[in-house]
Formats: sequence, structure tokens, C-alpha cells
Amino acid sequence: MSYTAETFQNEYLALGASEVNAIVTVTSTGGDGGRRSGGATEIIIVDASGSMQAEGRIGAARQAAKAAVECLDDGVHFAIIAGVSTAQQLFPDPGQLAVASPQTRAAASHAIDRLQANGGTAMGAWLLLAAQLFEQRPGDIKHAILLTDGDNGERHGYLDSVLNQIKEKFICDCRGVGANWKVSELRKIADSMLGTVDIVARPTELTASFQQMITAAMGKTAADVQLKVWTPVNSTVRFVKQVEPQVADLTGKRVEDGPRAGRYPLGSWGQESRDYHICVDVPAGAAGDEMLAARVHIMEGDTEHARGLIRAVWTDDTALSTRINRQVAHYTGQAELADAIQAGIAAREAGDERTATIKFGRAAQLAHASGNKATEDLLSKVVEIEDAVTGTVRLRRKVAAEDEMALDTRSTKTVRVGRGQ
Amino acid sequence: MIVTECTACEDERAAGATFCEVCGRKLAGTVEVEAPAADGKQECAHCGAAGSVGEDGYCQECGMMAGRSRDHLEADGGVAGAAVSDRGRRHHRNEDAMWLAVGVDAADVVVSDGVSASYDPDAASDIAVRTAGELLAGARHPDQPPPAGNPDETADLEGLEQPVGAVGLAGSVAHAIAGAAAAVASLAHTGDPRRAAANPACTIVAAAVRGPHVGYGWVGDSRIYWLGPDGVAQQLTEDDSWATHVIALGVDPVTAMNDPKAHAITAWLGADAGPVAPRVRSFTATEPGHLVLCSDGLWNYLPDPADFTRVVRDCLDGATTLLGAARALTAYANAAGGADNITVALVPVRPVNDLEPETTEV
Repeated sequence: MSYTAETFQNEYLALGASEVNAIVTVTSTGGDGGRRSGGATEIIIVDASGSMQAEGRIGAARQAAKAAVECLDDGVHFAIIAGVSTAQQLFPDPGQLAVASPQTRAAASHAIDRLQANGGTAMGAWLLLAAQLFEQRPGDIKHAILLTDGDNGERHGYLDSVLNQIKEKFICDCRGVGANWKVSELRKIADSMLGTVDIVARPTELTASFQQMITAAMGKTAADVQLKVWTPVNSTVRFVKQVEPQVADLTGKRVEDGPRAGRYPLGSWGQESRDYHICVDVPAGAAGDEMLAARVHIMEGDTEHARGLIRAVWTDDTALSTRINRQVAHYTGQAELADAIQAGIAAREAGDERTATIKFGRAAQLAHASGNKATEDLLSKVVEIEDAVTGTVRLRRKVAAEDEMALDTRSTKTVRVGRGQ
Repeated sequence: MIVTECTACEDERAAGATFCEVCGRKLAGTVEVEAPAADGKQECAHCGAAGSVGEDGYCQECGMMAGRSRDHLEADGGVAGAAVSDRGRRHHRNEDAMWLAVGVDAADVVVSDGVSASYDPDAASDIAVRTAGELLAGARHPDQPPPAGNPDETADLEGLEQPVGAVGLAGSVAHAIAGAAAAVASLAHTGDPRRAAANPACTIVAAAVRGPHVGYGWVGDSRIYWLGPDGVAQQLTEDDSWATHVIALGVDPVTAMNDPKAHAITAWLGADAGPVAPRVRSFTATEPGHLVLCSDGLWNYLPDPADFTRVVRDCLDGATTLLGAARALTAYANAAGGADNITVALVPVRPVNDLEPETTEV
């Protein structure tokens, strides 16, 4: 598996400037022929609380879980957890992991048919059981799907303590069906577990959603890739953010690694490419000084796969220092877009229509300018966009809850800037 | 870069030897002079941390660039030539490059200035001087018989002042610059999208000296001057620049030089340069003098030929060696501000009947 790390930045800084920004594009070729060399474990967690009986959700969830099992490659370890007030292992026997084969897939299908919706919602307990099962398979690529339709019913703070305990031990993609779940709750889990969050508005869409997640998980060939960032003395990393395919702030996930270096988890990788925005504060230099502001390494354990240099060169030539790097500008805008949407939603919930209008207006402007058509379309269901160029919008009187949640969950989706600078 | 050759080197090289059997000099490749030791760990010049400079050239403590080998380069060909290239005081790296190879009664010299607006201009100038320098090594001395087995060319000699001899050198220079142009253009296709978008580009000025004969050529605004025993230095090149172009069309020189576009070059080496037509010329020295090749990092501070002459003469008179004079000229540009990279090469040329170096014949 080979990686490349490409740096995009304007390394020229005006005299006195001390903030260095760069976009690092990490690309992996995937394993040999896209094949995993190690093992993989998949756990599917299906909410079986009483509310799942509504709108035929439990039936759709059964079907989706079966479709997911069908997508598993032979030899992959797997388990299915039924989420009620406690965590119950639906398949195979408690404490066991099955090995995917035509026989186990058929047995799992039978077990899924027994899934009944008649309990509470205890996400912390569900995730904890998943973590315990994953522990049997050190070194595997570990992925879980969490499906729910409601709020967590556990005592306040319990989910946080579980997440703190199991964070980054496996990847967890979270999906909410219907409109009675909290985006902030699932986002917290997804952020903590390096996964994604999305809404599945109609139960009939569940099968496609599960299939897509399993297919993506089966394409992963490296379990635990990390970004190591070295910075010089008297410098600090202001932030490290994944900015493509979606925004995810990794700054708080730093683990120190020797003097002046820290590691940030990048999760599991297949054949793919992601962009990271790294911002470093350095002591300002004199004209003509060149400094290495950061050295980034793509690591898997002790193996270095690729490295990139983020440089700072101080100049009194304003033609150089005022050059805008397209990548940095674009992703700075995409991150602001996500922030503006989330602030707009929060302001509207709080009844502050004036702030909401300003935030959504700014979001419409940013989405339009950057060519993020998907986000612009989602926005237009929440506000009437009168003029995207100036950011003039009007709040819609009636907004479907699903539309607002879709806008919220997908606010972090970004588009890639055209290369060529 | 410098290669000093003994009388046998050429034959040894022609025979395909890697080292000259007579003087032991390495013939394949060139010898770098004054490159700081890159193997052992250096002390950081910025924060003083001992042994802290990493393999990528940055201090592992404070992150400052510890200096590149190209920041200051010197080539010492003794009495046959010298060249110095320096980063200057305002640029963070040296995007100029130079080549100097001296032999008996012969010298090849190339200066190139990377175009800052392009991506990796330092790579462009580096490959330009290497390619042109290596091609110039094949330039034949017009007054010496051609290698055996080449009967067609035996008729063109004997007349010491015959322009025919020097004209052949101009052809060699044209060939060398064409090779450099192709090499620089190829840099755009190394797979790096930034190089494809803003392809590496540079100027070039090259000269081949064989006895009294000089062939030279250029693309861009790096210059050659001829400084005779007395009088004002003569600029042999005409800048491929906007100002030179519009002055030729009749615009007032002062107005033209004050225009912001004055220094924009109108010809360069690079993938976007189109077909490169270097301008090449030749002459045969009838009195002793010096060729002065330089990038605009020097001549920008001395636009007036009289001032240029005075400073170059002061530096030649004040130094005991050509290298000392080249260093003094670099120091002059740095003292004047060092706003750009500075490269200067000095190559003396003597007429054929000038047996005693100090004899001046006017």
C-alpha cells in the first residue's frame, strides 16, 4: 500500500506574519489489487426500541441489516447487536463473533427475523458491547454501523464517559431514521469514533444506506493510519482539520509523540484521497528567512508511508505574500460554510431569527461561490435564497424537520477544489 | 561547478575514461566547490543548537533553513576564470546557477537566472547550466586541427584573425543553448501539477572561449560584457526585455526604463517559451581583456556602462586573483542591497600574439 502527501500553500509570509496555513492532500493507492492483507470485523447495531414500530421502521431495519450481511466479504468477522435498554447480542451467540460464509450469512438472516421493537434506547451500552467484541480482534480493520430513531435514554453523562473510554478503538458510522433523533448526539458519537453521521429520512432508504456503508468499509485495507506533525520550538499547532470529503476537526485528538511532535488519528484507509488543513503559529522571521513550520508524516504504527513539508518564507515582496493559495482559501470557506449552517440552525432553534438569517445568508453565499451545489440545494429547503451572490435569504415559515436535519448532518460535506496552482 | 583540465583530459574523455590517467581528475560529472558538508550534522546558524540540522536542511529545533549549498557557490579556475553565485540579501534561496570549465587556453562558462514567477526556477537554472556546460565541452578550438578522420574540416584554419574560426564557436554555443532549452522545457512534465501550471523557466547566457576566439549567446536578460585593456566595457548582449524592445521601437530610454514592465523578459527557456531562438555571436580578441558574465542581480546596480566599468576594474585591480575579484563584485551588489540573486563570472581572453600577459597592445 503506498501513500503520497502533497502540500498546497503560499509559503510566502509578510514581515511580522506568524500564521502558516497549508492543505495536505493524502492519497493512498489501497492494498495490492484493493485487497486487505489483514482481517476485518464488522458489527451492526440496530435500534430495537419501541418507537421503531412506527412507519414500518423495524421492518425496513431488518431488511437493511440483512442486506448489510449479504455485502460482507467471506472471512470477515461480524456480529449483530439489538439495541434496547441494554445491549443484546442478536447474532451469533453472546460474546462470539461469526466468520462470514454462506452458512453464517443465512443463520444471521434468520436471527434478524427475530428482531422485535420493544425496548429503550441505550447507545452507551450498545457501543460498549461492540467495543468488547472488537477487543477479540486486535489488528483488524474495525467498523460498526449504529442505527437509531430516537434520543439516548441513558443517564446524562454516561454516553460521554463510554465514548471517552472507547474513542478511536473502532470506526462507527451513525445513521438516524425518521426525524425524532438528535443530530448533535449522533454527531458526537461519529466525531469521537472517526465516522460519519447522516439522516435516512424514509425507512425504505435504509437498505441502500447500509449497503453503501458496508461496501465502503469492505474497501478499507489499512486499519489505523495516523498523521504525525512535527513543529519547531516556540511553535504551536493551531488546528488540524480534515476538510475533504467532510470537515472533521482533529485538533483535540492529538497524542504527543516525542519532542515537538504529535499524532492525529486518520482512521482506516482504502484506495482514497483526503485533504487536511493544518494551521501552525510560528515566531515571525526576518526577510529572506526560510523556516520549516511543520513536517507531516503519514504513519502506520512505526512505519512512515509519506511525508510533506510545510514551509514559511518571509518576504517584503507583497506580490508574493498576498498571493492567495486556492486550496487554503477554498477549504477555509468550506469550514466556514459548515460553521455558518450549524450556527444558523442553533439560532433558529433559539428563536433568534435575525442571527439565523445572517448565518444562513452567509452559508448560501459560501456554498454558491465554492460550487457546493449539494449544500446549496439543502439550504434552499430551509431558506428562500433570493440572491446567493450577496447572501440575501429569507427564512421559510414551514420547514420539514427532515430537511433541517439533512442540512445539519450534511453541512460538513465539502467539495474539492480544482487542482492546478 | 568547475572542471579544471590538464592537456590530456580531452583525449582521455574522448577515449571514454571516467578519470584522466594523467592528472587523475574525474571526467564524468563535475566537481562541486564550496558546498557545505551535507553528510555530518551541522550546528544551526540561527539558534545555535549543536548537530541539529536534519537531512532536509532544516534545524530540528527552531525549524530554520540551515542554508542550502547553493546559497553561496564559488568556482575557481585560477588564472583561467572564476565565478561566484550568491543568494543576495532579500531572496530566500539562490535561483541563479553557473557553470565554469577551464582547460588549457579554453574556458566554457554559463550563467542562468531562474524566473521567480515560475515554479521551481532553481531547478530550471540548474539543469540549464549543466546541460549547456556539458554540450560546450564539445566545442572545438578553431585553430587546432580537428580530430583525425574528419577530412572535411581541415581547410578552415591558419588565419589567426579569421572570423570563420570564432563563427564555429557561435554554432557550438547555439547548440548548447538549444540543448539547455529542451532540458528546461522537460521539467514541466515531471508529473508535478504545479510545475505543469507554472513551468520552471530561466534565462541563459553562455560563452565558449578557445584561444583568442569567443563564441557567445543568450536568451533573456543575463549579460556578457567585454572589458578591454582600457575604455568603457562593452555590453555584448542585448537584453530580451520589454524595455530593450520598446527602446528599439523608438521609445525614450528613460521613460522605458522607468516603466514597471521594464525588466519583464520577452524570451526565456521553459515549456511555455515556444521555439527558442538564442542570439549567438562571436569575435576574436585582438587585445587582452575579460569576459564578464552576470545576472541582473549585479547589473541592476550598475546600469550605466561607465559605472560598471569602474567597479569591475576596481575589483580586478583590488584583488590578487580572479576569484577575489568575482567575490568583490558579489559583495558590491550585496552592499548595494542584494535585492536579487547575484552571479558573476570572469574569464580572461588573450589575443594569440600576446605572449607576455602584462604586455598591452592597442
